[in-house]
Amino acid sequence: MPQNPYEAGQAKPVAQQPLQPATGHDRWTTRLGVILAVAGSAVGLGNFLRFPGQAAENGGGAFMIPYFCALILLGIPIGWAEWAMGRYGGGRGFHSAPAILGSLAGRAGRYLGVIGVMIPLCVAFYYILIEAWCLAYFWHFLTGGIGIDLAQPISDQVAVSKTFFDDITGSKVEGLMFEGYIHESVVFWAIVFSLNLIFVYRGLSGGIELFCRFAMPLMAICGLIVLVRVLTLGTPDAQLPQQNVNEGLGFMWNPDFEKLKDFKAWLAAAGQIFFSLSVGFGVIINYASYLRRRDDVVLSGLTASATNEFFEVCLGGLITIPAAVAFLGLTLTQTAAGSSFSLGFHTLPVVFAHMPLGNFFGAVWFLMLFLAAITSSLSMLQPAKAFLQEALNVGRNTATTIVSLVVFGGSLFVIWFSEGLIALDTLDFWVGTFLIFVFATVQIIVFGWVFGIDRGIAEAEQGAQMRIPWVFRFIMKYVTPTYLLVVFGGFVYQNVDQYFNEPEKSTLQKIVDNVVAQYSLLLLAAVLVGLLVAIRFGEKRWLKVPAPASKTAEVDYPVTHPGP
Amino acid sequence: MTSEGWIFMIVSITFVVALTAWCYYRVLTSPGESTEPPETLGG
Repeated sequence: MPQNPYEAGQAKPVAQQPLQPATGHDRWTTRLGVILAVAGSAVGLGNFLRFPGQAAENGGGAFMIPYFCALILLGIPIGWAEWAMGRYGGGRGFHSAPAILGSLAGRAGRYLGVIGVMIPLCVAFYYILIEAWCLAYFWHFLTGGIGIDLAQPISDQVAVSKTFFDDITGSKVEGLMFEGYIHESVVFWAIVFSLNLIFVYRGLSGGIELFCRFAMPLMAICGLIVLVRVLTLGTPDAQLPQQNVNEGLGFMWNPDFEKLKDFKAWLAAAGQIFFSLSVGFGVIINYASYLRRRDDVVLSGLTASATNEFFEVCLGGLITIPAAVAFLGLTLTQTAAGSSFSLGFHTLPVVFAHMPLGNFFGAVWFLMLFLAAITSSLSMLQPAKAFLQEALNVGRNTATTIVSLVVFGGSLFVIWFSEGLIALDTLDFWVGTFLIFVFATVQIIVFGWVFGIDRGIAEAEQGAQMRIPWVFRFIMKYVTPTYLLVVFGGFVYQNVDQYFNEPEKSTLQKIVDNVVAQYSLLLLAAVLVGLLVAIRFGEKRWLKVPAPASKTAEVDYPVTHPGP
Repeated sequence: MTSEGWIFMIVSITFVVALTAWCYYRVLTSPGESTEPPETLGG
């Protein structure tokens, strides 16, 4: 009697009968399309707002040493593992992380794989809202700015900018957006939500891929326009010669090697690479599952990572901080650099208000942020959609509708509990940070130790247009999991330490003290339970996958390359 | 900005731009880029 290949994790990567022919799974139409979609998922606000702040705070140019170490030892290897496992699962008719990891690691993989559905789904609850803020800022700059009066002192201008942000986000009063009138943020949120829905309903190739093929180049053009403007600013105010672009570049890039002795800098670099590349997010494994058996994943994975780095280092690293220093000086920039929201939504609008043609450049900048956000949020709905199709055996439109309703409810929760952005922060901490660490660790261990490093590399190199360098066998098996566990340990230590020593800043303390944070955790628990129930339905069907039909199906991974 | 700052900036940006350009050159000049429909749906 043939052993069930799904349960045993022994199935060979041959084209099999589709698991659910009725549901009609999508495919990518071009390799460039999938690369841009993955890169679009990775490039987000963090590239432009979080990276420069992290670099400036943690050693400037010297930060790039731990940063590139993390890229090579964490980001690229985990990315390759995800691409390879995703395509492997897709070859057997699976497109969701639970089914794919279940096919590799049995029941444990199946249930741990639920994290790969939960992360993008729950991040979408608040990310679509942030996307709406970017669109609102874009609209305001396009139509005359946000009301900053240049005759007032700088501190007052920043205060006006903060008030505008508080109004847009409703962060001063709970449920502000439903108090008797339709708040403009709700209108922008509805527009953004509808846009996401339209593209996700249109499917992978006709929606997400098509949009990313236009949005990614447009985003690069917007970034380059603002970059040229910033680098040609010189010294905007002759009365303040110390405030110039050169000083700003110095603040961002002058190396402080002393900072490298601090574990925090290494932790920050690893965290930045990790979150920036969207590894461990549950999207790459899903996207790669729509590739064909002989499609390249090694060069594609590297290209998607390189694209993300281009936006982060070449645009993020040269625009935000230099512009802020040139107009606002070092002190204000230093204060803002620690927080993405503060830098992006409090400080930069003031910078654009000071800039010649500032409203135009402000509009271009926030359009770029909006595109970065929407190309990310589009990717967040797809894994849950694929999972519901597989687990509940429903059609694409039904799955999309269910996912949309869940995200709609989750978004409303975040909009309602807007005061202090506590709900948003709590979801971001537990799902957008903590669970990503967990899921990345699960994936690299499954790839290196359960699937097996030799088998995994051979799988990745099927149809590949470049070899994975030999040293990565060692890196992916030993170095990456160890590095991840050390970083994860450091992250946990940092948060527990903060809980005891700086409770006013601690996210853990907020959960203990704040009822909204507790509601947010209940929301996450409800989503988790729903997904686990769906898995129970799904696994009964997944376990019925037929064994390979012929001897040829048993042939294991001939490693072939077309050459470098 | 100090000369060390310039060096770090130029090296970092050159590395990233070169890597990105090389990757896209390989992707766009490879025969794998096609718009053919999939052979089978779902598998």
